[in-house]
Amino acid sequence: MNRRTLLAITAILSILLAFPPAGRAQAKRIKVAFALLWTIDDQGWTTAAYNGIEYLKKQLGDQITVSYTEKVRAADAERVIRGYARKGYDIIFGTTFEHMDPMLMVARDFPKTVFEHCSGYKTAPNMGNYFARMYQGEFLSGYLAGLMGFKNVGTVATNPIPEPIRGINAFTIGLLKGLRESGRSYDAGHVNTVVWLKAWRDPINETTLAETLISRKHDLIRQMADTPDSSLAACAKGVPAIGYGADAAKYGAKCVLVSPVWNWGPYFVKVVRQVQQHTWKPEAYWGGFDHHDILLTAFNPSVPPAVRQKVLAQKALLEKGIDTIFAGPLYDQHGKLRVPAGSKASDKELLTMRWLVKGVRGSIPD
Amino acid sequence: MDDLIFIVAITLKSSPAVLLASLGELISERGGILNLGVEGMMLVGALAGFVTARQSASLALGLCGAMAAAGLLALLHAFLCVHLRADQVISGLAVTILGTGLSSFLGRPFIGQTGLHFSSIGGTWIDGLPLIGPLLAQQNLFGLLCLAAVPALMYLLGRTWLGLYIRAAGQDPAAADAAGVPVAAIRYGCTLFGGCMAGLAGAYLSLAYTPGWKEGMTGGQGWIAIAMVIFATWHPLRALLGALLFGLLNALQFYFQATGIELIPAYILHMLPYLLTVGVLVLVTVLEKPVLGSVPGALGKPFSREE
Repeated sequence: MNRRTLLAITAILSILLAFPPAGRAQAKRIKVAFALLWTIDDQGWTTAAYNGIEYLKKQLGDQITVSYTEKVRAADAERVIRGYARKGYDIIFGTTFEHMDPMLMVARDFPKTVFEHCSGYKTAPNMGNYFARMYQGEFLSGYLAGLMGFKNVGTVATNPIPEPIRGINAFTIGLLKGLRESGRSYDAGHVNTVVWLKAWRDPINETTLAETLISRKHDLIRQMADTPDSSLAACAKGVPAIGYGADAAKYGAKCVLVSPVWNWGPYFVKVVRQVQQHTWKPEAYWGGFDHHDILLTAFNPSVPPAVRQKVLAQKALLEKGIDTIFAGPLYDQHGKLRVPAGSKASDKELLTMRWLVKGVRGSIPD
Repeated sequence: MDDLIFIVAITLKSSPAVLLASLGELISERGGILNLGVEGMMLVGALAGFVTARQSASLALGLCGAMAAAGLLALLHAFLCVHLRADQVISGLAVTILGTGLSSFLGRPFIGQTGLHFSSIGGTWIDGLPLIGPLLAQQNLFGLLCLAAVPALMYLLGRTWLGLYIRAAGQDPAAADAAGVPVAAIRYGCTLFGGCMAGLAGAYLSLAYTPGWKEGMTGGQGWIAIAMVIFATWHPLRALLGALLFGLLNALQFYFQATGIELIPAYILHMLPYLLTVGVLVLVTVLEKPVLGSVPGALGKPFSREE
């Protein structure tokens, strides 16, 4: 390389440095980070969150930078979240319950960063929380099962805490409503048997629990775990199933009648836009069909058109914001009146629910 | 009656993985090599078995793949422990960590895929058999064949020269060496066998018990298998007993849950295999004379000819 070329290169470089490209002058790119519970292909909770991230990228991809970390369990949460905050991320999502306390600690140290936590109950001036009313989808799938005449459902439930309990109750309320409208005879005190996995994901025990329920002659298996294995076990034995969280049919469970699924994308987009426009405020957000935070997958071909119509009519009401699922009178398993006629359970009651509605067989373990 | 059949059927169905893995570990330990890598080898076997069967459309090849993959990990352990005389506990733990990580990394494209699997033998003339018909109908060929490994290994250990060599290598390698036993080769062989059996155990999970690959699908059964070797005091027949006991505890748990009668809390059932192992350990130590059998004399100790 002779001196002239060297000079030329130096000259070009100095010009470039002196006049940065026009893009630099635009509004800065918002940096968004996600702490994820498990792997993005876990077929359940984290896959749903990842679908939301993909949606966010599609909508705002040219204006934002997105990063995520997988398998962020309680022990790692603070390190991961703090790392993102240090690197100057503008908004950080903690996508599972156990991120709540670590996130709150980091939020105190980084007041300019926005934090969003899923499924918790704590907020701070720079930390909001969000969740979706999955129970609405569970109600609709129960309603569908009832209309189709399933009256001895076996549910493979997860952890005995308010969220699944609420879902079991909503499903059972829907199931009883469907059975009532189907005109079939049934035992109103015993339409849905619940067994507990005591884990969010445990495919081995999930399969055996589902097989146990099938061999005890339950006519429909309801999956609640993050993995589709109870649905898969049902399909293998020729028993229909109801999926949960992500589309179980997509993972080979062809017998699934319908799956209510999480749909986080629209919420992610909304929050990121707010941060862009400096209008974000912390809130405790709990949306349902009305904001498309949950969806129903396509029905199985075996679901009769009349049933589809009725389910979609109920869904349309929920989309309008008319949610009367937990309207009284509601009795618990022991016949005690829990929600009197003329009123409906408040959000606070729903979020702390610790009783099972009449029609459920099985109890809440200690 | 139905309930009893149900409990026995689930017991039989959920015990083969622990049985295979503990039989493999038993032979490995009888030869003097403690391998704590069972959990990792099982996971690798589960993945390799599922993937091989799926790609080759042959269950037999799937089993071979499972044995080969887990066997390779076992060879790594053998190389470290026999050749380099490394600490067996550390090497074994490394194998578990490596196997767990490797399987979850390599297995990602296969999560949720469906492939071949051993189906239950029901739906044939077997259903009509009196009493055992409904029980057998829920089993699969693989699980039933596993049972044959118990008498085979009892014969091998007790009645053949190879069994004698294995026991000698585990009991007193110096004396065995003086008597002309190729200690290093025997120990390599035993560890490899243990790996292959752990691979088969993993393949049982991914090809028969809950078909498909799931990350971390062994759920601690490898550790149970190691505990069961101690519980069995290094005897194949008692290993079968231990595996069936594990299956029974599992079955009871499901039965209690499905019927809503919880006579024994599930947490206690989860703990029982370990509690029983501790009990047997105490028994083995307290009883001066080896009534049940005892720890192979040179278990966990590296052997070097020069010393």
